[in-house]
Amino acid sequence: MEEHLGPQPPEKGKSLPRRDALKIGGLAVGGAIAAAVGVPLVGAAVGSALKPTTPGWMRAGAVDAFPKGEVLLAIIEPPVDMEWPALDAKMAVYVRNDGAGGFTVFDMHCTHVGCPVRWVQTSQRFFSPCHGGVFDSAGRVLGGPPPRPLDRREYKVEDGVLYVGAVYRVDEQLQRIA
Amino acid sequence: MTLLQRGSALPDRRMRVRTTVRQFFERHAPPGLTWWHTFGSALLALLVVQALTGTVMALYYTPSPEHAYHSAEYIATAVPFGRLVRGVHRWAASGVVVLAVIHLLRVFIMGAYKYPREPNWMVGVTALVVILGLAFTGYLLPWNQRAYWATTVGAHIVGTVPVVGEALRQLLLGGVNVGVLTLTRFFGLHVFFLPGLLTLLVLFHLLLLIRQGIAAPPKGEFAEIGPGDYWAAYDAAKARGRPFYIHAVRDVVMVAVVLAVVALLALRLGLPSDGPADPTDVNYVPRPEWYFFPVFELLWWFKGRWIPIATVVIPVVFLLVLFGLPLYDRNPRRAPGRRPLAMTAAILVLAGSGYLMYRGATAPQPPPARVAIAGQIVAPSADTTGPGLFENEGCSACHAIAGQGGGAGPDLTRVGARRDAAWLKRFIRDPAAVRPEALMPAFTDLPEATLDRLVEYLARLR
Repeated sequence: MEEHLGPQPPEKGKSLPRRDALKIGGLAVGGAIAAAVGVPLVGAAVGSALKPTTPGWMRAGAVDAFPKGEVLLAIIEPPVDMEWPALDAKMAVYVRNDGAGGFTVFDMHCTHVGCPVRWVQTSQRFFSPCHGGVFDSAGRVLGGPPPRPLDRREYKVEDGVLYVGAVYRVDEQLQRIA
Repeated sequence: MTLLQRGSALPDRRMRVRTTVRQFFERHAPPGLTWWHTFGSALLALLVVQALTGTVMALYYTPSPEHAYHSAEYIATAVPFGRLVRGVHRWAASGVVVLAVIHLLRVFIMGAYKYPREPNWMVGVTALVVILGLAFTGYLLPWNQRAYWATTVGAHIVGTVPVVGEALRQLLLGGVNVGVLTLTRFFGLHVFFLPGLLTLLVLFHLLLLIRQGIAAPPKGEFAEIGPGDYWAAYDAAKARGRPFYIHAVRDVVMVAVVLAVVALLALRLGLPSDGPADPTDVNYVPRPEWYFFPVFELLWWFKGRWIPIATVVIPVVFLLVLFGLPLYDRNPRRAPGRRPLAMTAAILVLAGSGYLMYRGATAPQPPPARVAIAGQIVAPSADTTGPGLFENEGCSACHAIAGQGGGAGPDLTRVGARRDAAWLKRFIRDPAAVRPEALMPAFTDLPEATLDRLVEYLARLR
């Protein structure tokens, strides 16, 4: 009786074109499935995190609430008509009235590792409670480890109300860098 | 055949249950296993506890800034056994890190990461990194002050990575600041992604353990043995050894002790809470959880453009050195006494991180400052006494007197015994002129009379 052995493995060094084609084809289909599943998933996970966002203008208070030359803490809350997820972003900023309608708005986080800085009015300095960062009333580093002056925020004045916008960085000369 | 026998034969015929159980518990372990070998099982038990307590809490917890804090408080106050469940989850999280480190140290000291167990060491170190990720993401979920600020600082530390730091930070936070998208992100990572990843790693870790067997303690022929002789010696040692279930009794006892300790901590020390997260609180002093103290404290030594050395280079290099240990340490010597270099390195690392943790745990905190808020009338403090000036001029932000004040600068409790008034005055006016390496800013703008009063006060502190 003739034995039926089925397909034989190829001799060493020889390849079967059909099997090679199946292998490559299988890998190609598998890769396409992985990409089709993976790209949307990774895209959704990264989400809008890396998109440059332009936060809306948040109300900091009436201009009259900021006496000239003083640094005051202001709680900023987004307007109710702002799109989700900004709704929850209640933050605080330091506002300095520079006179002649000009303001400087400081981000409240130390530029070292983000601890909240306190404004000490008598000594006219910002102090960080974590690693001893000290800033002057223009946000310049006076002492400690912070690598750059306090970050700032854009602002605008409309109908006697101060609004606060996006955060940006400044260099040692207090020129905007990002 | 009794009914019982028939009942147990049913799953066994189909799924080989008895055979598998027997293979697991009756396989022999090499002789000489110690109590030090029980920390791996205790760690596994705590991970199971975390999965169970976490799942129960997920029935109540709500990952949104409005509800997170209150739902977590609800678990602790209103849910039956909720205080125990949440407390155990919190304390077992620290326990997992402690046990993982002890387990790792045991494997290191006994040279158990050497042939043939190199892959399993690497799986274990990877699992440790995932555990730290779980600790970091879980820390935010109660949405209290310490959670919010620890995450803010953690994200800033990620932001110090050169070039891509800011992108990484936003990727982590889901935005520019810690907000609603950070909470949902951390919830998803903490509850779905990282536990899934850790489960795969732990299963692989255990599969390799069962395949390769428990490493024989580094004594006798195992004090120094290369790959060529290993398996013959190991099989012989196993034949001399006892079945695994005899050792498992010790494991069970250790698991019971660890669970009792965690439950006790949960009930006695409970859940530290300092109120709901308030992103506008400028008087909060952020502190990381103890296992992140080394990085937080390293920041004292690396300033300005050297910050990434503390935040990126040292942690990443340390983890790579740890991960790759079996790749570069191919020395056949396993007994700790024959590995002086490895033991010295381990002692140095332990002493160093222990010192940093001690520093972090005992760091003094500055008292809250009186910060004027727009729209509210805050009269500046008129206290012109010595202690009042010390407070109002910002000295206490960095210096402590009798335990009150910050830790950035030297403690001034007895500064008068070290320095006289003239020296103090010169130093405060311009620290860099007196001591070029001083980090303190100059107070050139301080009125003469004020400075005199302040210095007079300081000079009296003896």
